[in-house]
Amino acid sequence: MLTLDSGSGIWTPILWLFLFVLFSVIVLWLRGFGRSDYKKGTDQTMIFFSGNMEPLKDMVHIRSTNLYWGFTESLSVVFEKLRKAHTGRINDYVYWFVVVLALLFIIVILPGGGLQ
Amino acid sequence: MKFKQFKRALWVFHINTGSCNGCDIEIIAALTPRYDAERFGIKLVGSPRHADALLVTGPVTRQMADKLKLVFDQTPDPKVVMCVGHCGISGGVFHESYNLIGPVDNIIPVDVYVPGCPPRPEAIIEGVAKAWVKLELIEKGEWK
Repeated sequence: MLTLDSGSGIWTPILWLFLFVLFSVIVLWLRGFGRSDYKKGTDQTMIFFSGNMEPLKDMVHIRSTNLYWGFTESLSVVFEKLRKAHTGRINDYVYWFVVVLALLFIIVILPGGGLQ
Repeated sequence: MKFKQFKRALWVFHINTGSCNGCDIEIIAALTPRYDAERFGIKLVGSPRHADALLVTGPVTRQMADKLKLVFDQTPDPKVVMCVGHCGISGGVFHESYNLIGPVDNIIPVDVYVPGCPPRPEAIIEGVAKAWVKLELIEKGEWK
């Protein structure tokens, strides 16, 4: 009843669950061979960083904006204009809202015959 | 010197604290097919957290002293420390140099000294064997 036969293969959740448990047991069994004599709370459980102190996460973290550097750099002309438009003043945002609404009215509504 | 049993392969972490590389080359020579230390299970590892023994070369320069201490602290117990070469034992030709903090036993406790400039691979292998015996005795609680 739980078996899904697509014609090119089958999917059985029970079998999947069985394999998941089986492999989990094997992984835990292999893990049991590892060293367990590290003293917790000492340098023995610290990351080995070639003998150096581990840097703070803030110092090694790559910010997500770094991934878009090329994108923002190539479109900096546009971004700079957009940044300038973001003044943080509510009056300006309402002004933009009214202007865009007016433009939409001209572009979309008037060519369609206006409001009827 | 008598081996009763090899409980496990001896994994060694090598740290150079300012050596001229003479001792390091001899350590590598000990791993080559001519001497083949790996047939005993003696193997260099890339992290002190995996090691049973620390193999220290060099006279310990000012920049390396805290790193040597940290590597020692990161090695799980029980552990043994081997000092390979005259530099690590006494400073060697760099004795009383302005930029040295060493010798090695000024920074961390040393169990086995292997003198030489550089020591031959046979001497290094013998030193490792002695360190291994001490390690087994420490594990059994028989080391006095």
